[in-house]
Amino acid sequence: MASVRKSGGESLLLRYLVLGAWAIVCLAPIVWFFTIGFRPRTEIIVPKPIYWPTWSLDAWRLLISDWPIALYLRNSVLAVAGSVVIDLVLAIPAAYALARYEFRGREDIGFYILSTRMMAPAIVAVPIFFLFKNIGLLDSVWALMLIYAAINLSLVTWIIRSYMLDIPKELEDAARTDGAGDMTILWEIIIPACLPGIITAAVIAAIFAINEFLFTLLIASTSKAYTMSVALANFTGGSDGVIYNAIALVSFLAFAPILILVVLIQKHLSRGLTMGAVKG
Amino acid sequence: MTYSSTTTNPEAASAASNASRKLRPRSAMSRTMFPYLLVGPAVAYLLVITLYPGIFAIYQSLFVVRFVSWTWAGLDNYVRIIQDREFWAALGNTAIIGGISLTLQTIIAMTVAFFCYRDPLVRGWRIIFLMPMLFMPSAVAFIWKLAFNDGRVISDLLMSAGIVSSNVDWLASVWLARLTLIVADVWQWTPFLFIIFVGALQGQDEEIEEAARLDGASWSSIFWNISLPMMRPVIVVAVTLRGIDITTMFTNVYIMTQGTPGGATETMSFFIYRQGFRMFNFGYASAASVLMLIFTVFVAQTVVKRAFRSGKS
Repeated sequence: MASVRKSGGESLLLRYLVLGAWAIVCLAPIVWFFTIGFRPRTEIIVPKPIYWPTWSLDAWRLLISDWPIALYLRNSVLAVAGSVVIDLVLAIPAAYALARYEFRGREDIGFYILSTRMMAPAIVAVPIFFLFKNIGLLDSVWALMLIYAAINLSLVTWIIRSYMLDIPKELEDAARTDGAGDMTILWEIIIPACLPGIITAAVIAAIFAINEFLFTLLIASTSKAYTMSVALANFTGGSDGVIYNAIALVSFLAFAPILILVVLIQKHLSRGLTMGAVKG
Repeated sequence: MTYSSTTTNPEAASAASNASRKLRPRSAMSRTMFPYLLVGPAVAYLLVITLYPGIFAIYQSLFVVRFVSWTWAGLDNYVRIIQDREFWAALGNTAIIGGISLTLQTIIAMTVAFFCYRDPLVRGWRIIFLMPMLFMPSAVAFIWKLAFNDGRVISDLLMSAGIVSSNVDWLASVWLARLTLIVADVWQWTPFLFIIFVGALQGQDEEIEEAARLDGASWSSIFWNISLPMMRPVIVVAVTLRGIDITTMFTNVYIMTQGTPGGATETMSFFIYRQGFRMFNFGYASAASVLMLIFTVFVAQTVVKRAFRSGKS
């Protein structure tokens, strides 16, 4: 944590002007959108915007009566949690091999894994759609789980790998001298020692999975497998137009748990977001 | 929390750790096979999900696909696509919208991070500044769709400030429509760069900064001559990652503009989506995907490989 040091009065004033202005830019839309979730629909799309709401629980009633929120929530939780589990099972051994073993092609394999993160969803969208269509998995939570796992696997592997590189080699050597095998060392020494990295990777993967839009839109072709992210877009259309108050409400229902998770891993966030390419 | 690549020689460090990293497996067989067994499942999974689509896209791009009937077309799709003005427009839009957005994000994130990292309330600022990133992209698109178009809030604010005299139709002009996408993207993703930059600034050696200050260097010269050069590898990695994400922009276009007016906000991702899933020209969409795939592989091979090498300790 940086200590308090003044770098001249004029820059201190400038500092708070800049920080205050950006804080308003960040927060004002959030606060305003929050109030949208507690307004009657008649007050949202009007010729002259109304800034102070007449509080109403319309959106809550709509959500509970007309909208299978429980189904969408279940789909989101199942697909996201499942994908994170798949990622960890595949990524932890892969990260261990990339961090600790010398083998032919290590650099290339590591870079291949990284490069899958760079693929635009739109490029693979058409073939992936046909792939899942052919194996009869369209419109299913399982398909979403597999897709989310694939999207995040590179991220999870690289984050965990960077934390494994930081574990002192002596820990492993000592265990090996005591006769521990490779798998025992991975399970009992490496994994506990890089737990912060594993948790960071899991949280970031979960956030990207919760937010995924394009694949979910295509694969969940009827609303049966909709997640929260895509169900939002489904509030539009029909004679009612966009139902903003319900959208706002659902947005905050998803935002709250993510905020809590991110505050918990705040210290590791910048390292996680750069897949460990930046230590800090 | 030190930024180690600035203090150690990467080659020497990696050689030393490689030497100490040599393991003593039980047999020659397990020595060679074990790492492949560890890394194999992950690679196999990614191959299925990337190689299959890649080959499928190349194959499908050689056909004209009408529902279930596939007619051999050779390279016709490619010939048509490089003559298709909409394709080049989508490429240009992606570059224009993404380029402006990325530039703004980088400048804002760097400025805010610089003013923030020495502040005693840095933890509080960090939480506030990262919040926009935590909303679902579809939710962010709706926030800005409501603010610009449906709820007329931005127009109303601009009117009360005396900047415009009547309600602005944001989807009526090329640049105004692009501006709405840029605002939404900057708002949501500046936090990504900010979080990385502020982490890097906090990790830099305070003593160098302190010494420069005692020598009478101003805060701006400390920033330009000390902080910025030290952060170069971090900036390269962060901007590269963000730049790649921007080129795939889809959600905001889908929800906010649908490519209007006249295709001025249609990005590459939306072009492929529209060709495939709106017009059912799957062969054509695949050809566009293949061209974008070639571009991606090229970028990944050059820019990303370099970025990750320079950023790694």
